[in-house]
Amino acid sequence: MSTQEKVTINKLSTGVPGLDEIVGGGLPEFSFNIIAGAPGSGKTTLAHQFVFANASPEHPALYFTVLGESAIKMLRYQQQYTFFDPAKLPGSIRFINLSQVVLEKDLGAVLEAITKEVEKSNPAVVIVDSFRTMVRKPQNDMDLQSFIQRLALFLASWQATTFLIGEYAEDELRDNPVFTVADGLFWLRQTVERNSIVRKLQIVKLRGQDSVPGLHTFRITDAGVQAFSRTFGLTARKRNPPSGRRLCFGIPELDKMLDGGVREGDSVLIAGSSGTGKSVLATQFIAEGVRRGEPGIVAVFEERPEAYAERATSLGLDLETPQKDGKLTILYLRPLDLSVDETMQSILDAVQKIGAKRLVIDSLAGFEMALSPGFRADFRESLYRMIFALTGIGVTILSTVEVDESFTEFPFSTYSISFLTDDIIRLRYVSIDGQLRKIMVVIKMRGGNHAKDIREYEITDKGVVILGKRLTNYQGLISGIPVYEGRIAPEVEPSQEP
Amino acid sequence: MRELAHRLLAYEAVAGKASEPAESATLRVYENLRGSLVAFAGTAAFQSLALRALTQAKSEVPSLWAAQVAEDGSLQGLGEIEPEVELDRDQAGEYSTGEGGITLIARLLGLLHIFLGGTLTLNLLRNTWPSANFDDRSPENGRES
Repeated sequence: MSTQEKVTINKLSTGVPGLDEIVGGGLPEFSFNIIAGAPGSGKTTLAHQFVFANASPEHPALYFTVLGESAIKMLRYQQQYTFFDPAKLPGSIRFINLSQVVLEKDLGAVLEAITKEVEKSNPAVVIVDSFRTMVRKPQNDMDLQSFIQRLALFLASWQATTFLIGEYAEDELRDNPVFTVADGLFWLRQTVERNSIVRKLQIVKLRGQDSVPGLHTFRITDAGVQAFSRTFGLTARKRNPPSGRRLCFGIPELDKMLDGGVREGDSVLIAGSSGTGKSVLATQFIAEGVRRGEPGIVAVFEERPEAYAERATSLGLDLETPQKDGKLTILYLRPLDLSVDETMQSILDAVQKIGAKRLVIDSLAGFEMALSPGFRADFRESLYRMIFALTGIGVTILSTVEVDESFTEFPFSTYSISFLTDDIIRLRYVSIDGQLRKIMVVIKMRGGNHAKDIREYEITDKGVVILGKRLTNYQGLISGIPVYEGRIAPEVEPSQEP
Repeated sequence: MRELAHRLLAYEAVAGKASEPAESATLRVYENLRGSLVAFAGTAAFQSLALRALTQAKSEVPSLWAAQVAEDGSLQGLGEIEPEVELDRDQAGEYSTGEGGITLIARLLGLLHIFLGGTLTLNLLRNTWPSANFDDRSPENGRES
């Protein structure tokens, strides 16, 4: 022991996937916490996950139930979750009902009952569910505050990590003595956004450690609560320095226009109207990566993975074999009520699983449609966080976006997200010589040079093929209605320098 | 479930004879269950289950007509109508006495099985009768499933 020695606070796993990251690595041992929220928001399930993750014969848990749901009904439902281990009852987890004490006596008797059981069992974890029903009886404020302080002091002294569960409305957050005493306050929200349910979690306070601020989405599945951090669990990871490496499309003329390819870790946007070949380009990008030994992920929202792979086959690109070899994953994400964070988690899991270097999001419009309506308003911000997080770990992202064809302007995206992208390739139709032809132009490459040429291309059975000549005999190509200039040399070789 | 009820009644009959109890094996099994379940789920939850079990049992064994579940979950009116379990006959598989008690306990165990499932019900019984052997039993049929 030294005079400079700081106390070490051990962190306990919350048992909730994603939540340890949000709370800053785990729940502080011996802390006195509250889980608050409306009925049905997942409070009890979260508490059960914590209990099952931490209770053992040596470190048992006491679960006090009060006036709400009976333990019999509670366990009937909770045992449906995969985290539920019946072998832990009653040896490691003991349920104790306090309803009679609450109904017949006062808070002093409740404290006495809890004290007695805690002294008898010496638990490492204590849950009181629902704490709110215990304090709903008319009490004067002093009694309540005194009761909570004594309970918190007692449980901390007995080295128990505690969760009180309570139904609270948002406006009760202020001036509540319970919240003042608590070391941690977990607020669970459940709102209806049009036809979708959106669940969000906030760590309102957590003493002693740095939790991730803001609202984090969560989902309740047969595995219990799963939380999705706003920072996607990447806060602790250092951003990779730019490698300067170029990633090719495998389309020689396009790669030349990009000065050798897009830079590793860039976010690339391919914008164009329907049928211009955005998905084809994206497929070629991912297939070329796989061919070069760079594993890839394709997140599709508008067609199923089988259809996507089949379409690639028609272009002479084999996406089946790399999927079998674990070099490529095609994710189909379209349950219509996804949060960006959930989508991100799926993508991140896939990225980590196969060590992906390239990611295709096809398309942003499909992505937006797959989100719950409540998340669509935040789409740009969510997209920013997602792109920042993924490119930070060195993944190169190629997104496709459909833009309405206009003959008065030349938009890059309907989302005003060009600021999120390092590189933009714009595809569009033009009317030339009585034909609807296609042109391509590299709009920007952040931090790099690129060709300024407007190139005509076709989609063949080999994918996107850029035609040999640069169009110079037309004015106003990007308007879609060019004017023929009638030069003697109507077409010239593409510029050599990007 | 009747098989498991037999087991518990036989176990308590032995324990009761050793301590010369004043109450029947059925009542001792019932009281032990009440003690565990009240601590675990509360008086109201136990009382509701016991009332349901007794109602079911009464429809099968009319001699239980006088039995009642009190507000605190205790069983009343069983003593006058419920004979002691005859251990010798139980071991020979000839249970003919204590039918009301067996049915009541079997019904109560059945409800626990419905609500908590086999594993948790067995865990609860093991915790209530730590020295009894349930290893070859499942509450579903009294036999290894």
